[in-house]
Amino acid sequence: MGAYILHRLGWTVIVMVMVGIFVFLLLRLAPGDPAAILAGDSATQQMIEGIREKLGFNDPLPVQFVHWATGILRGDFGASIFTGRPVLELISQRLEPTISLTTLTMIVSVTIGVSFGVCAAWQSGGLIDRFLSAFATLGFSVPVFVVGYFLIYLFAIKAQWLPVQGYESVGHGIGPWLLRLILPTVALSIPYIAFIARIARASMLEVLSEDYMRTAAAKGASSYSMLFHHALKNAGVPILTVIGLSFTSLIGGVVITETVFNIPGVGRLVVDAINNRDYPIIQGMLILISGLYVIVNLLVDLAYTLVDPRIRY
Amino acid sequence: MPFSRRDLIRTGVAAGAAVSIPSVLRAQTAPSAARTARTVIGSGDLRVFDPIYTAATITNHHGAAIYDTLFSPDSKFMPQPQMVEKWRVSDDKKTYTFELRDGLGWYDGAPITAAGCVASIRRWGQVDSGGQLNLERTKDISRKDDKTFAIALKEPLGLLIDILASPLSSCPYMMREKDARLPPTEQVTANIGSGPFKFNEPLAKPGVSFAYDRNEKYVPRKEPSDGLAGAKIVNVDRFIWENIADEQTAFAALQAGEIDFLGAPPVDFYSVIEGDPSLNLQILDKTGSEVYARLNFLQKPFDNVKARQAMLHLIDQEAFVRVMAPNPRCGRTVTVFGSDTLYSNDENTGWYSKGGDPEKARQLFKEAGYTGEKIVILQPTNIAFLNHASQLLAAELRKIGVNAELAPSDWGGVVTRRANTGPIENGGWNIFITSGSGYSQGDTVGNVFFPANGDKAWVGWPKSDEFEALRIKWADVDALEARKGLARKMQNVWWDFVGSVMLGQTFWPIARRKNLTGLIGMPSIIPMWNMQKV
Repeated sequence: MGAYILHRLGWTVIVMVMVGIFVFLLLRLAPGDPAAILAGDSATQQMIEGIREKLGFNDPLPVQFVHWATGILRGDFGASIFTGRPVLELISQRLEPTISLTTLTMIVSVTIGVSFGVCAAWQSGGLIDRFLSAFATLGFSVPVFVVGYFLIYLFAIKAQWLPVQGYESVGHGIGPWLLRLILPTVALSIPYIAFIARIARASMLEVLSEDYMRTAAAKGASSYSMLFHHALKNAGVPILTVIGLSFTSLIGGVVITETVFNIPGVGRLVVDAINNRDYPIIQGMLILISGLYVIVNLLVDLAYTLVDPRIRY
Repeated sequence: MPFSRRDLIRTGVAAGAAVSIPSVLRAQTAPSAARTARTVIGSGDLRVFDPIYTAATITNHHGAAIYDTLFSPDSKFMPQPQMVEKWRVSDDKKTYTFELRDGLGWYDGAPITAAGCVASIRRWGQVDSGGQLNLERTKDISRKDDKTFAIALKEPLGLLIDILASPLSSCPYMMREKDARLPPTEQVTANIGSGPFKFNEPLAKPGVSFAYDRNEKYVPRKEPSDGLAGAKIVNVDRFIWENIADEQTAFAALQAGEIDFLGAPPVDFYSVIEGDPSLNLQILDKTGSEVYARLNFLQKPFDNVKARQAMLHLIDQEAFVRVMAPNPRCGRTVTVFGSDTLYSNDENTGWYSKGGDPEKARQLFKEAGYTGEKIVILQPTNIAFLNHASQLLAAELRKIGVNAELAPSDWGGVVTRRANTGPIENGGWNIFITSGSGYSQGDTVGNVFFPANGDKAWVGWPKSDEFEALRIKWADVDALEARKGLARKMQNVWWDFVGSVMLGQTFWPIARRKNLTGLIGMPSIIPMWNMQKV
């Protein structure tokens, strides 16, 4: 197991190096000049040239790359072209809202999604199952931003129960923190609940039709015991895979929710950085996200061994 | 030890209370909601804090809050002393002497001295076109004593006080001497000014929000507030600029009372705002915004004056205004000096015809020798009104047989491509649409729109020696009537060589909650002083 983990972590480093080279070149080839954006709309060409020189954009590409790459090896991801603040500091400031939103969304999605899927499989063809089908269709087809605006209109403007936008740090109290995360969490959870519920239902249906389930029923096992002790554990691997996939796609999907609910997370940081061609932030974020993807996949692979003892690395 | 459900609840409540304590403490130190105004200025995110380092509009708003100026324009756009107590000009009009007001000081407690003003004028003069003109004409800028300094000129500059009072970016804000001694390509990050507001550094959340607190030490002028001149009275304890990127969310926040002011509400919400008894639409910039197309003088077909004149006749300004800003106040614009400025006039405007004249445009393109080559229009897809105008222009050109092609990208991409002087096949362009404050159209020295000196001019690189000769005279004329006469002559030449093509005058109202009153309506800057919550 230890060798396997080390092997996978080694691959993580290789993936991050490749992402780094790719992102660096892609950004330089894409149209857009941060110096021109920084100087402002009515800036003279002389002003723009002065800023470009100062920022080192007139250096040859290999020189710029080596400068950036050696910085990363020292743990220095550079500084924002615009604010001058270190990239890692900016990212760390934005991590808490994103982690809060994704964690709450995963808790809600997994809890409701798995329960929903199990119940639908248990009552296959029944009311719950049909409701799940309708909910899943809706959950997949209605975009998150539409759900978000709808929730804002209903609960923030009309009912005035919840705030429209913004984020409160958990350090300012759990109440305000939770209050501002309810609507974005609900909006973001819906497609994931639908996704996880559909997969959980399908896996459970497959397991429930196995011979050993019939045997358990013949031996007088209760419905609870059959569903949660016998079936769910055996249906766990595909469900875990889906949860892992959901988590990684959530990191990308959170951008829209953060924009709609004005949550200052890493998603918005990246979007703003792309609009402004703030290269160091984009590069730093993409390297960190790629690393996170690989690590989450590794954790999911390791979690398989918990639900299925036959799996060994 | 057994752990009961009751113990669990008790522990949970205690933990929740403990985590909530910081918010309670914070609430005690923050000003009340009634003394705090929350705004979404609507000019993007504040990323650079030095208004000399960048000409970005949002940084100019920031500069107006925390810095002060020597002179400011009043509501009639006439320059009035601000930090200056009195000033005089020598009989030969070559030496201006300025004496600062009593009681002026920086936030850090140090008094404002003439040395800071001298360094600030020098730094600003390196980046602003008005400032550059000032430095070109200047023999010496010197400190006389702690409160007095002088500008000695090589030759008279009738426009000097107007240049010092300009609120357009880059605005001549006065900074501490140690800050102003930095080269203009290096950012001043200290944010220590002498304006009516102090920047609250600990509450700054880049990309999220910035807070400005009342500067208790600020000494307002005794004259009543008038435009950007007169007394700057601060009626709130704190201003918070929220950066809400999504327009719909920003508007919902205004409806719910989470913000008090929204700088640029989307056009499709105007009717909702007008129907909401707690909200108000208000036009602050009475000079509006002039939208115009820059034609690339370096490339075919617009290197030929006939093709440029064809564009004048092609444009149906009413149609463009309808797609850009469907507001009944928006209208046509036939003057290069802005529709509502001191220098607006109707010289040489016979080309204008309601609805445009496509046949005449087709004829002129033919006379220009146009043979169907591709005409590239830069299309900023993330700025709605410019995006719409670009699409309409492409459609109008195609109707008269011109091979128009849109080059879509975000604004960042447009800004980069517009600097390309090369031909189309090398990434060049033919038409770029943008806009500027109507007020700035009255500034022939500071506005990049005007210079027509070829490769030294702004994008489009218009060239007319005759126009340039007239434009250079502008700085030497100090009588208003004489300048108005010169404006007519300049416009006469402009519409002959067609430096740019006007698409219409638009007005972009702000939205506010009705309890936020006292807003000062001026171009270019949204002043935070004078506002109050009632």
